[in-house]
Amino acid sequence: MVADIGARPAARRGRVKAAGGALHGERRRLYLPLLLPALIAYLLFFVAPSIFGVVLSFAEWSGLGTEFSWVGIANYAELLSSRIFLSSFLNTVLLTLIVGVALFLIAVAAMVALRTARAGAFIRSAVFLPFMISPIAVGLAVSFLFNPKGMVNSVLGLAGLDALRQPWLGPELIFRVIMVGVVWSAAGFYVVLVMSAVDGIPPSLYEVARIEGASLIQQFRYVTLPLTRDMIAIAAALWAIAGIKTFEIIIAFVGTAGTPPLEARTLAVEQYLRVTGGRVGGMAQLGEAAAIGVVMTAITVALIVLSRRIQRRDRLEWS
Amino acid sequence: MTGSARLRTAEAFGASAILLIRAGLWLWVLFNVAMVLWVMLNSVKTSRSIFADPVGMPDTWMWENFATAWSTSGLGAATLNSVILVTVSVALIMGLSIPAAYAVARLGGRSSGPVATFFAIGMSIPFQAFAVPMVLISVGLSRFMIDWVTGAWDPRITVALFYVVLSLPFSVFVLIGYFRSLPSELEEASALDGATPFRTFWQIMVPLAKPGITTVAVLNVLSLWNETVIVLMLVPNQRMQTLNVALLNFYSNMQYTSNWGGLFAGVVIVVLPMIAIYLWFGRRIVNGMTQGIGK
Repeated sequence: MVADIGARPAARRGRVKAAGGALHGERRRLYLPLLLPALIAYLLFFVAPSIFGVVLSFAEWSGLGTEFSWVGIANYAELLSSRIFLSSFLNTVLLTLIVGVALFLIAVAAMVALRTARAGAFIRSAVFLPFMISPIAVGLAVSFLFNPKGMVNSVLGLAGLDALRQPWLGPELIFRVIMVGVVWSAAGFYVVLVMSAVDGIPPSLYEVARIEGASLIQQFRYVTLPLTRDMIAIAAALWAIAGIKTFEIIIAFVGTAGTPPLEARTLAVEQYLRVTGGRVGGMAQLGEAAAIGVVMTAITVALIVLSRRIQRRDRLEWS
Repeated sequence: MTGSARLRTAEAFGASAILLIRAGLWLWVLFNVAMVLWVMLNSVKTSRSIFADPVGMPDTWMWENFATAWSTSGLGAATLNSVILVTVSVALIMGLSIPAAYAVARLGGRSSGPVATFFAIGMSIPFQAFAVPMVLISVGLSRFMIDWVTGAWDPRITVALFYVVLSLPFSVFVLIGYFRSLPSELEEASALDGATPFRTFWQIMVPLAKPGITTVAVLNVLSLWNETVIVLMLVPNQRMQTLNVALLNFYSNMQYTSNWGGLFAGVVIVVLPMIAIYLWFGRRIVNGMTQGIGK
């Protein structure tokens, strides 16, 4: 998603010209009719509304027929003085960082051990599976595992570990349980992503390393890691984009009837509650909700820029 | 400790670490398979035995869980909503993004790079930046249509509209990459044989790009089938909501119904089609999601 379009074989560039001048003109005439429907739909219903969202964050407006007034940075000031906003902001950053570190460690472990593992392809498909499944279903299943009478507590009871039985979904632990659920549903994707980069490394490099007596850990340190840095940077950016938006799995823990406890609210949840006025009734706060959207975009961009720093400066070339 | 002894210790440590990781990976695989089986088993249990015997086989096979979830709890109507919304949206997405991607990849000349980047930017903007304008457009659009044009409006049409535009960046971007990777010789040969550029596109290049097109279509089916937020924000009427939202409503009513078996039946209805697609397309989905993005 943060891909580099410039990194394409340059040989294609001169191709169109080779087809001849008249033909070239005829092909050019087809360009706009094919491109415009998608481009106009994208501009009109995606780009323009997104920009309008930024405008709205500096205004107070509840839609057509109501009065539009500029309020400057009042929406942002309101957010900054709101304890609920600050805690959901903190939760979002914490979730993105903690789950991000967990995903990174799991991906590294997989890079070390999965390349040479037997049935590696099968393992990859099986760990990828939860990523395909609706986060609502994942949230429902995980919250059921952890509910007071659920599987986790029953198993702990059966194992004689009654001391470890917890009210997992209580305010103190629920956010940690949610993070576990997020890791479970996302980790397979990142494992497969980094492994696709590992697959691109010529096997001869590992052979040389083996002949020179490098252990698997050393092979990881000196061959795999330097050659997969770009993919790790991409994975980090993708996780930043996805992690900031964490929403469905949290809603699935509480259902639509209630509102998630403060301890488990992310920015996306908080914005949803403000857009809809909350399920318990109340006024929609669109200006502030738009400001939350702008804040989330800013965090995402900042994290993408940070993740770009992981990338190599020089482009890899192998024949 | 001598140098070689230290080396040997490090090697032994490395080897055991790798064994440990592999064991962990297999446990993870086992857990995933067990979760799927557990959900499926719970869907045919009585609510009582789900709690009394969480890992055991069902004492009575409650196939009627599916019947009650399907009709009484409205998951049947929700499934229909999901199927129609996803089908219509994906058809429109492909209809818009295939020509656009071909144009950018093959006809654009100098402007194609910036246009591709312009589409790609859409992928990194979080949905929440878009949410408030989306709600306002939805309200405005339905009011406009009711007052001036058709006299009636269905919020599901608005949902389809936003499904389409929000899926365009990813679809166009991945298809551009795919069209660029195709050999240009056939295109030239067809042009020299007198085919119009449009015919070349439609009858030569689109069939050639079919594997990529299928992958993008399947990925869109997956993400839209699992989509929840947009329907939650735009469709207040429960009869018009999609499967995931219906499942949430079902869960919210649990304190009154206590129909846990039915809830798991609902989860199976949401999850099973995607698992089937995953088994069917397998590697192609995985490659499309990872390599298409990684490039």
